[in-house]
Amino acid sequence: MSKLLEVTDLRTHFFTRDGVVKAVDGVSFSLDYGQTLAIVGESGSGKSVTAMSIMGLIPDPPGKIVEGDILFKGDSMLAMEPAEVRKLRGDRIAMIFQDPMTSLNPVYRVGHQIGESLRIHRGMTKREAFDRAVELLDLVGIPNPRERAKDYPHQFSGGMRQRAMIAMALSCDPDILIADEPTTALDVTIQAQILELMIELQDRTGTAIIMITHDLGVVADMADDVMVMYAGKPVEFGTADEVFYKPLHPYTWGLLDSLPRHDVSEKGTLEPIQGQPPSLIRVPRGCSFHPRCPYARVKCVKEVPELVPVEGGHASGCHFSVDPSFRKGEAAVCREVV
Amino acid sequence: MALLEVRNLVKHFPVEQGVLMSRVGAHVKAVDDVSFTVESGETVGLVGESGCGKSTTGRCIIRLIEATSGEIAFDGQDVLTLRGKALKEFRRQVQIIFQDPYASLNPRMTIGEIVSEPLKVHGVGTSGEQRKRVQELLDVVGLNPEHINRYPHEFSGGQRQRIGIARALALQPKLIVCDEPVSALDVSIQAQVVNLLDDLQDQFGLTYLFIAHDLSVIRHISDRIVVMYLGKIVETGGWKELYDAPQHPYTQSLLSAVPVPDPEKQRARERIILEGDVPSPIDPPTGCRFHTRCPIAQFPICAEQDPELREVAPGQRAACHFAKPFPIPPELRRSTVIGEGEGGAEGAAEAV
Amino acid sequence: MTPEHLNWDHDKDPDMIPLDAGGHPSRQSESGDHITASAGHIDVGEISTSSRTLWGDAWYRLRRNKLALVALVWIVFMILLAVTADLWVPQTLGDPIVLPQDTAAAKLLPPSADHPFGTDKLGREIVSRIIYGARVSLSVGVLAVSISLVIGLIFGGLAAYYGGLWDTLIMRTADVFFAFPYVLFAITLIAVLGPSYRNVFIAIGILGWPSIARVFRSSILSVKENEYVDAARAVGASDLRIMFRHILPNSIAPIVVYTTMSIGSAILSEAALSFLGMGVQPPTPSWGGMLSDARAFLFSAPHMMLFPGIAILTTVLAFVLMGDGLRDALDVKMKD
Repeated sequence: MSKLLEVTDLRTHFFTRDGVVKAVDGVSFSLDYGQTLAIVGESGSGKSVTAMSIMGLIPDPPGKIVEGDILFKGDSMLAMEPAEVRKLRGDRIAMIFQDPMTSLNPVYRVGHQIGESLRIHRGMTKREAFDRAVELLDLVGIPNPRERAKDYPHQFSGGMRQRAMIAMALSCDPDILIADEPTTALDVTIQAQILELMIELQDRTGTAIIMITHDLGVVADMADDVMVMYAGKPVEFGTADEVFYKPLHPYTWGLLDSLPRHDVSEKGTLEPIQGQPPSLIRVPRGCSFHPRCPYARVKCVKEVPELVPVEGGHASGCHFSVDPSFRKGEAAVCREVV
Repeated sequence: MALLEVRNLVKHFPVEQGVLMSRVGAHVKAVDDVSFTVESGETVGLVGESGCGKSTTGRCIIRLIEATSGEIAFDGQDVLTLRGKALKEFRRQVQIIFQDPYASLNPRMTIGEIVSEPLKVHGVGTSGEQRKRVQELLDVVGLNPEHINRYPHEFSGGQRQRIGIARALALQPKLIVCDEPVSALDVSIQAQVVNLLDDLQDQFGLTYLFIAHDLSVIRHISDRIVVMYLGKIVETGGWKELYDAPQHPYTQSLLSAVPVPDPEKQRARERIILEGDVPSPIDPPTGCRFHTRCPIAQFPICAEQDPELREVAPGQRAACHFAKPFPIPPELRRSTVIGEGEGGAEGAAEAV
Repeated sequence: MTPEHLNWDHDKDPDMIPLDAGGHPSRQSESGDHITASAGHIDVGEISTSSRTLWGDAWYRLRRNKLALVALVWIVFMILLAVTADLWVPQTLGDPIVLPQDTAAAKLLPPSADHPFGTDKLGREIVSRIIYGARVSLSVGVLAVSISLVIGLIFGGLAAYYGGLWDTLIMRTADVFFAFPYVLFAITLIAVLGPSYRNVFIAIGILGWPSIARVFRSSILSVKENEYVDAARAVGASDLRIMFRHILPNSIAPIVVYTTMSIGSAILSEAALSFLGMGVQPPTPSWGGMLSDARAFLFSAPHMMLFPGIAILTTVLAFVLMGDGLRDALDVKMKD
């Protein structure tokens, strides 16, 4: 049986006046019902563009999916007519965005907006859609949902708006929910509420979630699988346990060492990754991480590494990950290139 | 004597209403009776969620906004009454680093002009000396001194933040207010800047008031921590005591809400999910401001009496009628077990 | 270590160096070292490319905007024509004012090799009159906008800087100006002052200040919110320094854009007033006046209407497109 979602060798490039921005350059993964995949990376890593590509929301021009495919239940979404993609979007695949302040339309009542996709995709009447919107608001934990559904977005707080967004995304029982930094704009106590809500709803509905985030804490909280991205490419893929406890790629090591922790009793030292993330127009040749990698060797400058499975499904895009002694804390630091 | 002493600081912003004539009606009680001290050479972390008044406090201290009432003493000098020359002299000794590395640098000035501005304003050295000093400063913060003639837009976020740090260091201040200096940066760059601030403190004997919402960063950098909620201090203490044994239910909830980058711990962790949102600072709740969301609030006392900040352990103070280590009992905490009942979570990890 | 070490130079082969004793070239462990050592590590190749000033950058972006470039060329061409007209137009094309000897034979001739744009009802060369009309249109445009600019910048600056009563007073006065129909207001003004070249640009200039004041005020107010202004205050910079070093340089971009577009609309206003007979008086040629003359011959000599019409259209459009291009070019945030 085909997977719920399968992305193969996706490449989304933007053709700008300054050159070709390879925002996503060779991303592959698959996703099943009830599963949560976290895509982690820093700004410019291509994680959001990956999500937008799946949603078919890449502005063209300047953006274009130049290679690869996105299969939804075995059907290529890239080969579909725009109308078919529109039917999937919001119905089978829904998305929540980072900024709950701007993702709701200020001139419509919240209940109306939540019901919109039900009217479009399910052909419900206004009345039915509104009643369902009230149920959904109740589901996402908004008190007095019948009253609040008649409110306008500005009458909602940030956390409530994000709940409303989730209600909207869930309105058609989507198979896949893509959450692009859903809690980044929220305070920690509100973030905890929202993450808890998403976990609860997933248990209830079996929706698959793609969680796009830069916060490794959120990843540890939510993810079954983790894909770490750097400069448009996946550099590591594995289960959450694999990626956190047995990370393979030096970039992942660097990320984990950069984090201050509040859960360990003593203060550790932070080991930042040196240098700056690359410009996506002039990605370093070879391994794009080599200018910042403390382990870079000549091979890293000359050859682009492939993402290859190392242990079971745990894959790494580093030339040296196949060497069992090349592990976090064990690998001898040896930068050959300067 | 403490380097900085803040006593009963209050800042209320008038809420402007009306289109034609601005009438003053309600007030946003951004900071309401806040007192704390910062000793020379230490880092005090000021932490809280948005709207708790931490940034306003910082800006009142450096006189970017005028406090409504209260006292601020810096080196024994009354800060809030400073005028003219004395105020300018005070500005030499207290500097600020801003959150937004894009908005905090004038896009029409070169790096050299930006970093030398404090020197020019205070007439320190000749222009040749200033240039030399700027190059030194750029080197100190880890930038190439040759980039003195470049413009901010040519730099990345992390590098811009270093430029902001160089500007703050130019006059060799005693105290630097760091207003969310790393929140806009990526994780790997954030660690670079945190380390840089640490190193600079050792090198120049700086004192920091470090304002942030990220509890992990605050813990990493601070010696002592002040937790704020809705314009008031709810708890203060040494970093270790505060994180190991929080005594205010808000501190405890806040700490338990931060996800830990460790899947197993995260699965086993008990957390306190606070209900509802932070109330509006225009009309804050009576009594203890946290009582509307507090899992252990008792009535009527919590809704009627504003708890004062009292010593609950050596060096640790909390503003709660029921303060004690881990005030929220385990039965009120929730442990979320994720991955339960989700078939295929392991098997689905497919090589790509 | 030098900054070049981490440059992404795609053309050079990487050098190989022996390992450090610590084998840790990018992470110096001693904190003191760390600072200086890191100097070599945070530079990226991007930054090593040539530095451009913001204005240089804007010019670079403007050059890539074809439409704005065409507009700029057109404006420069018109200016050159207007400035040099005395030197060659009367001799080669024909005098724009003095009537030809054989008036009757030369009247209302359609465009031909001898009369490129044809002649008007008095037998004068339309092409000459268009070129001389450009002098009027462009100079009225520039002078009127200069007046608006001076008044608008002063009032807008006062309103933004002092706020409070000043702000209310100035901006409400501006609202009063906006409340009157523009052309009626202009006609009334000219009726009081008397129609003449000078009074036309004075009237248009006086009517134009409120928009400039408004743009400038809001621009200053938004720039004032930037943290670099706070940073300058925190350093102890004086109000004057903050105004001239930080706020003004960042507030002028919208003014440059708006001013450019305003010249276009001032030209249009001049044409409208001249058309109504309230502008530049005959026999001085002006595009609006020429249109007015052409009304009677709309069907018999359409070229009389056509060429001044095209001149107004293209010139006004050029200023608007130019303003549009400047807006994109000057926007710091538009940087990719």
